Amino acid sequence: MPGKLDNDHELIKKAQRGDVTAFGDLYESHAPAIFRYLFSHLDNQMDAEDLTGEVFLKVWRSLPKYTERGVPFLAFLFKVARNILVDHYRKNNNLETKDPEEMDGYSAEVISEPIELVGNQIEHQKILRVLHRLRTDYQSVLTLRFISELSPEETAQVMNRSVGAIRVLQHRALAVLREELDNIGKHED
Amino acid sequence: MKIERQIEQIINTYSPAISSGEESLESILAMYPQLANELRPRLEAVIWLQQVRLSVATRPGFIHDSRKYLEAQIKSMPPHSFWQRLFKTLTPRRWVFNFAAITLMIISLGAVINDLILTARLSIPNEPLYSTKLVIEDIQLALTFNRKAKTDLYIQLSNERTTEFVELVLQGDYEYLPSATRRLESEITATLDSLENFPIHEQDNKQATLVKLRETLTNEIFMLNMLKWTSPPSALTGINLAIHVAQSGIVALH
Repeated sequence: MPGKLDNDHELIKKAQRGDVTAFGDLYESHAPAIFRYLFSHLDNQMDAEDLTGEVFLKVWRSLPKYTERGVPFLAFLFKVARNILVDHYRKNNNLETKDPEEMDGYSAEVISEPIELVGNQIEHQKILRVLHRLRTDYQSVLTLRFISELSPEETAQVMNRSVGAIRVLQHRALAVLREELDNIGKHED
Repeated sequence: MKIERQIEQIINTYSPAISSGEESLESILAMYPQLANELRPRLEAVIWLQQVRLSVATRPGFIHDSRKYLEAQIKSMPPHSFWQRLFKTLTPRRWVFNFAAITLMIISLGAVINDLILTARLSIPNEPLYSTKLVIEDIQLALTFNRKAKTDLYIQLSNERTTEFVELVLQGDYEYLPSATRRLESEITATLDSLENFPIHEQDNKQATLVKLRETLTNEIFMLNMLKWTSPPSALTGINLAIHVAQSGIVALH
């Protein structure tokens, strides 16, 4: 999507000059993909929302040093997201479950009904169970390609691999995922 | 490798169509019967991932609300660079205030420095600012390039040393008299050296300066002699030494 990339380029330049609204536009454009990536690795929607904000705050702080010649912006965003996810896992090994009262104001405004929330939560746990049975690189390639909808080139940049390697990885990961879905289905029956 | 690429292309091409309901799994498999065994499990996995994508989507209003929150957070953070910090934090009123404050500070600093220089110029050898006075005189001499002006300045300084000498005697600080006499002697010597180095084409100026020096030295001797009559005996040795130095200057002029 060359138009989108050009638009991103302009917004990045403006954001680097301190334009918060331009950065807000970048956020609006890329936050859904980042959120999906994070949520497909986490068991809590609020954590995914918090971490999405954290990713963009970190990116804002790193913007003065960022040059597009190095890593494309989307790949840069996902690299930051991946690092934040790793930090989150590390912290969570030492932390108690987070109290909902400690959440920021906007995060607490979840609209879902309790019954719907529980249903969603069960469904989400099921998804995580399937994904967590896969190898880490299979998980990464599948979430980046099909949940965050990154192109093979962008996925290759985020995962520091060649496009060919991503193709092979995706081919295998899809087959393994299908097997796991079968296994879990048999187990549940 | 070839099959992998082919399957990837099929997945890339038909994923959106499956997602929108335009194509089904079976319709795609019917298009590629030779790949059906490889393609089926992968397309089923892709369909499952598409459902997952929908289930992990953001809740309604989240992006809009969180954008506002993020922008507010960023605005409360310090801006990126020094210049952004400077321009962002300063309102026009603040600019005026800062400009006025800096101007006032510069004026005050100028007044203090001016005061300091004046005080230093009036100081005598027993006072703390006297070394500043000597530094100022050295700077003045270094910045004077014209020979006549430089010699005039030496004469003026020799007169200044005599005035300091008189003040020391009047204040009773006799222990400073030998050093004051040495400074008077060095000023007279410097004046004579400067006269010596006058260019040939400025002989008229040299003559006028010579007369000026002679008058200054004569006045200094007269002033010191007057001081001798009014001072206590303990000061006489120092005063006589200073008179002797001034007289030596006149002798050297001859």
